[in-house]
Amino acid sequence: MSRREKMDAEFAAREVEARAMGGPEKLARRRAAGVLNARERIERLCDPGSFVESGMFATSTSNPADRDRTPGDGKVTGFGRVDGREAAVLANDFTVMGASSGSTNGRKIAHMKRVATQRGLPMVFLGESSGARMPDHMGSRGMGTLLGNDGTQYVRLRETPWAAATLGLSYGSSTWYSVLSDFNVMRKGAVLAVSSPLLASLAIKEEVDPQEMGGWRLHAEVTGFADQVVDTDEQAIDAIKAFLSYLPSHHNEAPPVAAVPAGSGEGMRDILALLPESRTRVYDVRNVVRAVVDKDSFFELKARFGKVGVTGLARLDGRTVGVIANNPLSRGGAMDADACEKLTSCVVLCDSFNIPLLLFVDTPGFVIGTEAERRRAPGKIMNLMSALQMASVPKLSVILRKSYGQAYLNMGGGRNSDEVAAWPTAEVSFMDPAFAVKVVHGMDPGAPGFDEALAEMDRASSVWDFAQVYAAQAVIRPQQTRDYLIRMLEVHRLRLTNGVGQHLMRAWPTSF
Amino acid sequence: MARLKIKAEVTGSVWKIEARAGQKLEPGATIMILESMKMEIPVVAEDGGTVAELHVAEGESVNEGQVVATLAE
Repeated sequence: MSRREKMDAEFAAREVEARAMGGPEKLARRRAAGVLNARERIERLCDPGSFVESGMFATSTSNPADRDRTPGDGKVTGFGRVDGREAAVLANDFTVMGASSGSTNGRKIAHMKRVATQRGLPMVFLGESSGARMPDHMGSRGMGTLLGNDGTQYVRLRETPWAAATLGLSYGSSTWYSVLSDFNVMRKGAVLAVSSPLLASLAIKEEVDPQEMGGWRLHAEVTGFADQVVDTDEQAIDAIKAFLSYLPSHHNEAPPVAAVPAGSGEGMRDILALLPESRTRVYDVRNVVRAVVDKDSFFELKARFGKVGVTGLARLDGRTVGVIANNPLSRGGAMDADACEKLTSCVVLCDSFNIPLLLFVDTPGFVIGTEAERRRAPGKIMNLMSALQMASVPKLSVILRKSYGQAYLNMGGGRNSDEVAAWPTAEVSFMDPAFAVKVVHGMDPGAPGFDEALAEMDRASSVWDFAQVYAAQAVIRPQQTRDYLIRMLEVHRLRLTNGVGQHLMRAWPTSF
Repeated sequence: MARLKIKAEVTGSVWKIEARAGQKLEPGATIMILESMKMEIPVVAEDGGTVAELHVAEGESVNEGQVVATLAE
């Protein structure tokens, strides 16, 4: 054998070992369950042939016996192109020691994040991990060696977008990165929690159901940690690709511009029909959003969480926009604490990555009452208020129908957006006219003079009075909405900074 | 078969029940309409399913978070 042949043989043998992951049996079990392994997930994510692995021959070194049975040390890392753009990728390999956190893979993650941050690449986390590796972390020496050697490990300054998928049992590491990311898609059947149900059962001495503790329903509906929920690994990875397609690679550039699909705007002619004639009836504001933005471009975030608020990314004339809206379909559009939190997180995302915001307004105000106060509504309302005011990207609001009370400010009124437009159906006031009659005149429905007083209150809430004082810069016909917004986005382009905003909220927590 | 409890999002009264027990609902279908804050607010079967039980009647008042229907997925 020549020197070259010997070298090639050893290289090939080591490569086979590294690629073997946790061995054929574990891989076959996953395949039978319809679940992709770490390397298949990367293949799905990256353009063919574009993935360059980093640390292929890295293994655990804490324990001599682990050297031969920890390929990649349980986390496959590297750089790949996602739809033509460079990204850094971390795919947890659960077949190797449950992708538990060890000393070597900790260095791999740190390197990926460092390169992504310094060179302006999106970071992708394909999550599934059992948490701290045992017994490596045990004892004071284990703790001192493994934990806390990278103080910035869990700090987000949003220099580049982070996208995560929760694809299996996620405890520790994967959970942290999923909730720290700008986008987290969860596959049904996956579990996202601080610690495993086994450990939780030991701690609280009762049976813990994994789905109840960290399943998709909990995170889609209660915590909001799942931005989207899908059925398969493939759909989860496609969702990450879709998310990244709206974002710039880093915070110092404007988002990419896409072609405008044929048929965009064709719903505009009949858009008024989406709004019920009676002000007591509700509708789904997402239909209005879908009609206005480029065809099929609305990418909703946290659809099942705080449903009174709607958030998402979309494109308008090929340009990425963020959407925040009130949805009368839920609670009549009366904003609650969860909805405020959801809208705030979308404002922070958009501002951090130079994405202009569109606001669609139809809210009778904030939910009030004991439950709202217990949910800390005042704090949530002020968080949204500050976030919207601090957002330095263009903000365009359209009042479709109701805009009442403090919620008027929270949804872009009173100089909290760059342009306020109103449909002729808009009504703006401090409180619902019927309640106002009670507060101002002390009259209940049916009392003599009530109807006349109500008619006067109604008239005073009309869009024309609002336009007269220039609180709305434009009253627009509903069918003009798309063209108006496209034109105003053009007017408000951040020319002085090449489309880049100030990112005043880059250190805002990803959940709060 | 998983049973899913559907809760009222708002405090109000049951104005109209649109679904009947045993009926199979499409995702997004309206189960009943509540009257609250002078508005008609639908209770929706987000994922669809079969109506196993309706726990309230028309005219009854409901509290936020109260289970108003049970669906079988």
